[in-house]
Amino acid sequence: MADDPKPDAPEASKPGSEAAATPPGEAAAPPPPAPPKPAPKPAAAAPKPPPPPAVMQTAPWESELTASLKEEFGDAITEFSSYLGQNFLVARPGAAIPILQSLKDNHGFDYLVDITAVHWPKRDEQFDLIYVVYSFARNERIRIKVKLKEGDRPETAVDVHLTADWLEREVFDMFGIEFEGHPNMKRILMPDEWQGHPLRKEVSILGMDNNWVQQNLGIESGQ
Amino acid sequence: MSGTFLDSTELVLNMGPQHPSTHGVLRVIVKLDGEKVTGTECVIGYLHRGVEKIGENRTYAMFAPYVDRMDYVAAVSNGLGYCLAVEKLLNVEAPPRAQVVRVILTELNRIASHLLWLGTHALDIGAITPLFYCMREREATLNIFEKYCGARLTTHAFRIGGLQYETYEGFEQECLAFCDMFLPKCDEYEELLTGNRIWVQRLRNVGVLNAEDCKAYGVTGPLLRAAGVKWDLRKAQPYSGYDKYDFEIPTCENGDSFDRYIIRMREMRQSVRIIRQAVADIPAGPIMAKVPKVIKPPVGEVYVSIEAPKGELGYYIVSDGSTQPYRVRVRPPSFVNLQSLDKMARGSLVADLVAVIGTIDIVLGEVDR
Amino acid sequence: MRKLLRRILLVDFLEGLRVTFRHQHPKKIVTMQYPAERPKVAERYRGAPRLNINPENGQTLCIACDLCALACPEALIVVGWERNPETKRKDLINFTYDTSRCMFCGLCEDACPVDALELTQDFELASYSREGAIFDRQVLEEGIQPTRYKF
Repeated sequence: MADDPKPDAPEASKPGSEAAATPPGEAAAPPPPAPPKPAPKPAAAAPKPPPPPAVMQTAPWESELTASLKEEFGDAITEFSSYLGQNFLVARPGAAIPILQSLKDNHGFDYLVDITAVHWPKRDEQFDLIYVVYSFARNERIRIKVKLKEGDRPETAVDVHLTADWLEREVFDMFGIEFEGHPNMKRILMPDEWQGHPLRKEVSILGMDNNWVQQNLGIESGQ
Repeated sequence: MSGTFLDSTELVLNMGPQHPSTHGVLRVIVKLDGEKVTGTECVIGYLHRGVEKIGENRTYAMFAPYVDRMDYVAAVSNGLGYCLAVEKLLNVEAPPRAQVVRVILTELNRIASHLLWLGTHALDIGAITPLFYCMREREATLNIFEKYCGARLTTHAFRIGGLQYETYEGFEQECLAFCDMFLPKCDEYEELLTGNRIWVQRLRNVGVLNAEDCKAYGVTGPLLRAAGVKWDLRKAQPYSGYDKYDFEIPTCENGDSFDRYIIRMREMRQSVRIIRQAVADIPAGPIMAKVPKVIKPPVGEVYVSIEAPKGELGYYIVSDGSTQPYRVRVRPPSFVNLQSLDKMARGSLVADLVAVIGTIDIVLGEVDR
Repeated sequence: MRKLLRRILLVDFLEGLRVTFRHQHPKKIVTMQYPAERPKVAERYRGAPRLNINPENGQTLCIACDLCALACPEALIVVGWERNPETKRKDLINFTYDTSRCMFCGLCEDACPVDALELTQDFELASYSREGAIFDRQVLEEGIQPTRYKF
């Protein structure tokens, strides 16, 4: 049904630009020498702008909070950055829950806004797991980013914030990241018998559609 | 809840997905001990359309009409959040005129959303009359949308960088006329409901959620304010020029269903106040910022959230520098708020469950996306 | 005594009827007798698509630039064109618009550089078959012809 608007454009443009774009969050590394030219762009992006910088242009983030967190967690937090005025930190996989707990107990970040993930199939650590926390008292919002490998089982945040229950279930449903110690780790939006995890990059809308019609209607393609 | 009680057996009752008071296709598995609810489990996803996946396969401009279809009773708010997020990613800001028109339409939409909530919630409780009145007044806002952008429900009113449509002739007068018409009607609803003994008894101390629980469950919007937390993103982190307007954040203390009703009624009045201020001062000027024809934000990521009628609506967008978003995450208020249903309904009666579901103000299009 | 009199003379009943009849005033009636009486939709209403024709020479305004097809999120517009060897310009051959998938977002009409494609005020899009929802160039230029009922 929902075909890709331009038959070849998305498929062609994604790998090309991705090869050039190292995932955001690796801004601290020096820019790669002479980034490889993106593959020839499809017609949709005809007026060719100068190739954008391949990495997220982050600024370092320093405040009392970062100093205190640095003291507490040391090198479990690898990066404090800020992009467009929005602060985030990158933590090592095991450190996310202690950081959430400490933020909640000592710094007033008592509201977990969101948990979500991003899939980067080209990368060794395939997933970014992102926690957004907010503090009512400080009126401040920060993101905690954790890089995960395929098959990693991060610890659940339900013990810290109850709202993590459904949010983690959704992450599991969409990305297949299982959370250790979650009370009810099953699918939430997709049907229980669904195969695969739809928000992973290798799953395409067209592919899902074709699979369905081939199995259920016995025709080659629904388009 | 497992294990049996001494004398009574636990009854598992399936409510929905085709139940009129679940406001869509929500299925609640209710565990009952006699008339008492001992536990609930929501089964959602019946309306899942994969909005986030669609977003990854569309260009930035193309995805804008899809977000209207999440919370379809407050489509304008959805569109505003998405446009603000992409604008942040592009580092542009809508021109002042566009911002003011956006505020007017969003507030009108807030009123429309609350009116629909009031009507259907009253219908669930057993008061049929308010539904017709609410629908009648909501029609007036929908007519303004129709005249402004040509659609009534899924409006697609805003574009990235500003507005597509200039206001039509008589827009200001119509908004003001709506405000003048609406406030007395608001009193009329309150006359029908606020003092009504049945209404009060059905809602008082039903579905109580105190401030601590609200924060633990991530509940936002009128539910949080009913619990006494004076927090509204329009004040806390103003966007689209909300800091220019003088309005109050209504709060209550008890955090029960009745307080939520009061909060929403007051919020509608505050919206009228904002609309009046905004209409009085629509600056002249362009309605579209300088945005390239092909939107290609630099590599980066943003989380932008707005105060939708139901709570905090957030968009987390990751750009990889191409014309399509690499990842669009929507933080839907209804989805998170619905999670607290179990906490609110536990220990109440089955009949109260209907009131509790109604009081959260869920739209399943947004819960399931 | 007064109460009894009120009851005998049906005062409350008449009071109620008065309210009812007051709302029967033609000005207060909200319900619309739809097929007989047609609603007037707003000028900017986004309804059935139309391909505009130049009123002066009866030729299509469309220049077959394909921008609408590129702008459409659902990719439901297909523009068929052929290059005219004499004028070196694109000639429109066919234009299909699949309204069964259309969400009337208006992006195609925004994209059109010559105001050829337009979403009009026609809202009666029902048809008896799925094929009927796919508009070709003829339907797009002449407009849909819904059945008009006589009363």
